[in-house]
Amino acid sequence: MKILKTVAQAREFTSFLFVVALFLIVGAINPDFLSLQNILLSLNGSVVFTMLAVGIAFVIITGEIDVSIGATLGLAATVSAVLIRDGSSWIAAVLAALAVGAAIGLANGIGVMILRIPSIIMTLGINGVVRGLCYVYTGGKWVENLPFDYKALSQATLTGEPGSVTWFYLFAAAIAIGIYLLQTRSRRGRYFAAVGDNEGGANLIGIPVVRTKMTAFLLCSLFAAAAGLMYVSRIGFVTPTAGNGYEMKAIAACVLGGVSLSGGIGSMIGAALGAVIMASIGRILVFMHFSSNYDNTITGILLITIVVGDALLQKRASERARRKRLSARIAAKPGGGA
Amino acid sequence: MAMAQKNASAAPMLSVRNIHKAFGSNEVLKGVDLDVHPGEAVALIGGNGAGKSTLVKIIMGIYQPDRGDVFIAGNKVSLNNPSAALAQGVYLVPQEPMLFPNMSVEENVILGFEEKTADLRKRLLDFTRQMKWEVDLSRKAISLSIAEQQLVEILRGLMRDSRILILDEPTSALTFDEVESLFRVIGDLKAKGISIIYITHRLTEVFTIAARVAIMRDGVITLNGPVGDFTRDDLVKGLLPPDAQENERGEKRPVPECGRGKPVFSLIGFTGYGFADIDLDVHRGEILGLAGVVGAGRTELATTIFGRDEVLRGKAILNGEDITGLSTPKVIEKGINYVPEDRFLNGIYKISDVAANTSSARLYLMGKVFLKRRDERELTNSYVKDFRIKITSQEQSVGSLSGGNQQKVVLARALSTNPKLVILDEPTRGIDAAARGDVYAIINRLKAEGVAILLISSDMEEIVELSDRAIAMYHGRINREFEKDRITQDNLMAAAFGAV
Amino acid sequence: MPEFLKKRLLRWEAFLLVLLAAEIAVFGHLNPRFLRIPVLLGSINDFMSICVISLFVTLVLVTGGMDIQAGSIVGLASIVVGLLWKDFGVNVWAASLLALAIGAACGALSGFFVAYTGVQAMVVTLGGSFLYSGLALAATQLSDTESYKGISGFPRAFTAFSKYRLFGMIPSQTLIFLALIAVSYVILHKTRYGRCVFLCGVNQSAAEYSGINSRLVIMSAYIFSGASAALAGVVLTSYLGTAKADFGKELTLPIITAVVLGGTSNLGGRGGVIGTALAALVIGVMRFGLSMSGISTQYLDIPVGALLVLAVACRTFMDNPDISRRVRRLFARRKA
Repeated sequence: MKILKTVAQAREFTSFLFVVALFLIVGAINPDFLSLQNILLSLNGSVVFTMLAVGIAFVIITGEIDVSIGATLGLAATVSAVLIRDGSSWIAAVLAALAVGAAIGLANGIGVMILRIPSIIMTLGINGVVRGLCYVYTGGKWVENLPFDYKALSQATLTGEPGSVTWFYLFAAAIAIGIYLLQTRSRRGRYFAAVGDNEGGANLIGIPVVRTKMTAFLLCSLFAAAAGLMYVSRIGFVTPTAGNGYEMKAIAACVLGGVSLSGGIGSMIGAALGAVIMASIGRILVFMHFSSNYDNTITGILLITIVVGDALLQKRASERARRKRLSARIAAKPGGGA
Repeated sequence: MAMAQKNASAAPMLSVRNIHKAFGSNEVLKGVDLDVHPGEAVALIGGNGAGKSTLVKIIMGIYQPDRGDVFIAGNKVSLNNPSAALAQGVYLVPQEPMLFPNMSVEENVILGFEEKTADLRKRLLDFTRQMKWEVDLSRKAISLSIAEQQLVEILRGLMRDSRILILDEPTSALTFDEVESLFRVIGDLKAKGISIIYITHRLTEVFTIAARVAIMRDGVITLNGPVGDFTRDDLVKGLLPPDAQENERGEKRPVPECGRGKPVFSLIGFTGYGFADIDLDVHRGEILGLAGVVGAGRTELATTIFGRDEVLRGKAILNGEDITGLSTPKVIEKGINYVPEDRFLNGIYKISDVAANTSSARLYLMGKVFLKRRDERELTNSYVKDFRIKITSQEQSVGSLSGGNQQKVVLARALSTNPKLVILDEPTRGIDAAARGDVYAIINRLKAEGVAILLISSDMEEIVELSDRAIAMYHGRINREFEKDRITQDNLMAAAFGAV
Repeated sequence: MPEFLKKRLLRWEAFLLVLLAAEIAVFGHLNPRFLRIPVLLGSINDFMSICVISLFVTLVLVTGGMDIQAGSIVGLASIVVGLLWKDFGVNVWAASLLALAIGAACGALSGFFVAYTGVQAMVVTLGGSFLYSGLALAATQLSDTESYKGISGFPRAFTAFSKYRLFGMIPSQTLIFLALIAVSYVILHKTRYGRCVFLCGVNQSAAEYSGINSRLVIMSAYIFSGASAALAGVVLTSYLGTAKADFGKELTLPIITAVVLGGTSNLGGRGGVIGTALAALVIGVMRFGLSMSGISTQYLDIPVGALLVLAVACRTFMDNPDISRRVRRLFARRKA
C-alpha cells in the first residue's frame, strides 16, 4: 500500500497517466491509433527526443539549462555522417560524434561553472557557434549517400520483424530506466537533484557542486551526440540545419514529464515519457484528421496548460497546507472551562 | 575558573591564529585569534557586522582567509572548501537553514554521507528520540516551519559526528521547549568531548551553556575568558563601542502620555489564518506592545491587516473607516504601513540604491507618470540625516550597508508614506546595540509625533522598555492585556507561554 | 542604481561604443563602400527587428523574466497583416494596427501566466513560442496563397514607408529606431512605472510590501515586448513586401544577445536600454559587415554566439575578482 501511494505521488506517474489518457482519447476518436503497431511506431519515433530529453534532464535537474543540444546534435550528426560516407569505420564515427559532444559539454561546463556565465547565455552563444560550425564543416551542403547498412541499423528490431520495438528505442529506454535507478537509489545520483534544489546547502555538506554540474553538462552533450548518431541512421541524410529547434522540444518534453526548470524536481523516466508525448503530437494530429501544421500550436497549448495547471494545483495545495497549519495553531475558544 | 584551567592544560582542538579577511576594501577580520578545547563550548557574541559569521565561514572552508592559519588538533590545515572542513570534522549549522526544499527530512539529513542508508537511518532515529522531536521523516523540507528546519540542520550536525560543531544563532527561531532540548543535546555533546562554537545574541544563553565567552567587535576579539569571570553587564559593556554606552543607558524614556479617547485603529473580532477573534485598539501617540512566541500568530495578524492575506471574519477600522480586506496599496494609501519581520525577503531591495529603497513605498505620491527625482533625493536625505543612516552616498546599494542601517532604511520606507499607524514586526532583530538604540529613539519620536504604533517583538525587554500598553498572544488569541504599570518581563513571558 | 554599478555600466556602454567604432573601421577598411553614409545608415534596415524587439525585451529581463517568444510573434504579426489585407479586405493600415494589438495580446497572455501563476518565464515563453508560431502557420491555411510563397502585392504606400529616406539619406527605419530608443529610455529610466519594473526585478516580495502591484508590472513588460515584436513584424512585412509566417524564427539568439551584451542581467533588477540599443547595433553591424565582406549569412551565428559568450565572460570577470582566482586555481590543479 505504501509503495502504491509513493508511486501515485510521484510526478512521473502523472505524466504516465497523461500519456495513457492522451492515447485513450485519441484512440476513442480513431481506434486505429490504439493498435499495437501504432503505439510501437510512436515509441520508436520518439527515440531521438528521448535521448535528448534524458540528457538535458541532467542539466535541468541541477537547476541550469542547455539550449545548445540542437546544434550539438547537428554537428555530431554531420561529423559522423561525413566519416561514414567517406568509408571510415562505424566505431570511428561513433567516437568522433561522442568527442564532439564531450568537447561542447566541457565548453558549456567551463563557461557556466568556472567563468560563471549564466547557463542560458553560455549555451545560447555556444548554440550559435556550433550551428555555424555545421555550415563551415559541410560548406552548407547536405551529407547524403550514406551506406544502406548504417541506415538499416535504426530499423533493426527486437524480433527482427519490422514494426516491432527497435533496438534503438530499447537502448534509449534502458538508459532512461538505468539512470533513473542510479539517480534515485545511489547516493551520488541524488547529488544532481540536491545541487538543483539548494546549491549553497549542497556546498555546505560537502557535495561537489562544480563537479556535479560539469558532469551534468558533459552528459547532456554526450546524449545529444548519441541522439545525433541515431538521427543520421533514422533520417539517412544530414542538412546543416539538422536538429534546429530540437533543444526547445527537448526542454518541452522535460517539462511535460514533470521536470521542473527551477531544478531539484523530476526524473529521467518523466523526461522520457515527455519525449513520447512530444514525438507523438504530429502523429496524433494525423489520426484525428487534422493538418500536422497545427503541431506547434498543440505543443504550445499542451505545454502551457500542463505547467500552468501543475503550478496552480501545487500552489493551491501548499496554500491549503499553510492555512491548515496556521489554523491548527489557534487555541480553542476560551471561556468554556478555563 | 577551575574549568578554564583544566581546559588550558589540554591541547586545543581548534585554534585560529591571526586571521585576516577583507571583501574588497572592507576589512572584516583584522587578526583574530581563538582557541577551542575539546569538550568546551565557546560562546561567540558581537554585533552584526562584527565578523562572527565571516570567521565561522572561514573555519567551515566557505571563505579563504587572506592571512592567518587554522590548526585542528594541533595540525595546520588548509580549508579550501567545505568538503575539506567536513573531512576535518568541522560542521557549521548556519543561521539560515540551508535545506533541500524538495527532499524529505531523511534525505536532507543523510545526503552526503558515505555509509549505508540503513545505518544512517538508525542513527537518525536515535538522535530524533534523543532530541525528543517527533517529525515525519518523509515530509518534504519545504513544508517545515523555520524552527523545524533549524532542528533538521542541527540533526545534520549531530549526525556528522563532528569534532568541532559551530552553531550560528541556533535558537533564534526555536520555541522554549525546543531550546531546552537543544541545550540538553549540547550538554551531551560536550560530555563526549566535542568542541562547540556557539554564536548568539541572547546573553542569558551564554551563561547557560558556555564555559568561555569571546566578544567580537569590528573584526577583532576584544574580550575572551571564562564565563564565570564576567557579569551580564560586563558583556553588555564589552559589546558596545566605547562611545555608545550612554546611548544605551543614559537616556531616560519620556513619561508616556497617550491621548486616550477615540482610537486611531481598532480590530473587532478580527480572524484570519493563524489567529482568531482579535480585539484591540491603538490610540494616537500610543505604543501597543504585542508579545508572543514565534508561531503565536503575531506576524500573520500583522500581514493580514496589511492586506497580504485573506480576512475570515471581523473588522479592521482606521479612523472610523472600515478598511477590512483592502489590498496592500490601498491599505498604505489609507495610512497604515508595516516594517516586515524578514528584512531580506520582504524588506530591502539589496542591489538597489538607498534612495530607491527609501522611496519605494511612496512612489504613488512621487509623480503621476514621471518620477520626481528631486523629491526622492530630498526625502532620502531627510531620513538619512534623521535616522543617522551611515552611507557614503545615496547611490550606495543597500546590500552593502550593515544590518542596522538596512533596518533604518526599511523603517524610513515605512514612514515615508506618513502613516497614522505603523506596525513594527521585530524591528531590532539581528541588529547591534548601537543601532538598536537609534531605532528606539526613532520609535519614541514617532510616538511624540502622534503616530499610533503596534510593536511586535519576541524580545520582552523591548516591549517593557517601549510600550504604553501590551497584549500577549498565545496560540492565535489574545491571552492577556497589560496596562503600563503591569508590563514586566515576567508577566509578558508567562502570558506568551500560556502560563496564565 | 548603485554608484559602482553606474560607473561600471557607463564604462560598459563606452566599451560597446568603442566596439561599434572598431567594427565600422574594420569593415570600412575591408570594403570602402561600407563607409558611405547611406549604406551605413541603411544597414539598419537589415536588422531592424533585432533592434526594436531587444529594446523592450530589456524590460522583461529587468523584471527578472525571460522572453524567447518574441521572434514567433514577428511571424504571427506579419501573416496577420497579409491575411487581413488580402483575404479579408481590411485596410492595410488598420490591419497593421490589429497586428500590433494581437502582438500585445500574445504578450499579455504569456505575461499573465508568468505573473499570476508563478511558472518560470522561460517555460511560459517557450510554450508561447510554439503556440504563436503554430498559430501563424495555422493562419496561413486560412489564406488562398500557398504558405511557402508568402502573401505579397501590398499597396505601394505600405511598402514604401519603410524604405523612405528623410532628406534622401536617413532611412525611416533608423528614425523609428531612434524614436523607440527615446520612448523605451523614458519608460524604463524616467517614469514611476520604470522604477517599479526595476524594483520588481530586484525583490518582488519587497515590492509587494511596498504597495506595488508587482504582478501587473511584470505582466505589462511582456505586453511591451509582444507589441514591439508585432511592430517589427509589420515593418519587416512592409520592407520585404511579403507577409510570411516564419519571419523572426531565428531572432531569439540575437535578441537575447543584444539585451545581455547591453549590460542587462538575466537575473533581473539591473540593466538599461541604451546599452541594449548599442549592443543591437554592434550585432547588426557585425552581421551586415560580414555579409558585405562576402561571408555567407549562415556563418553569422558563429561571431554572434562567440561575442555573447566573450562579452559576458569579460563582464563577470571584471565584476568578480574571485573568478580569476578560481581560474588560476583550476590551472594550478591541472598542472599538479
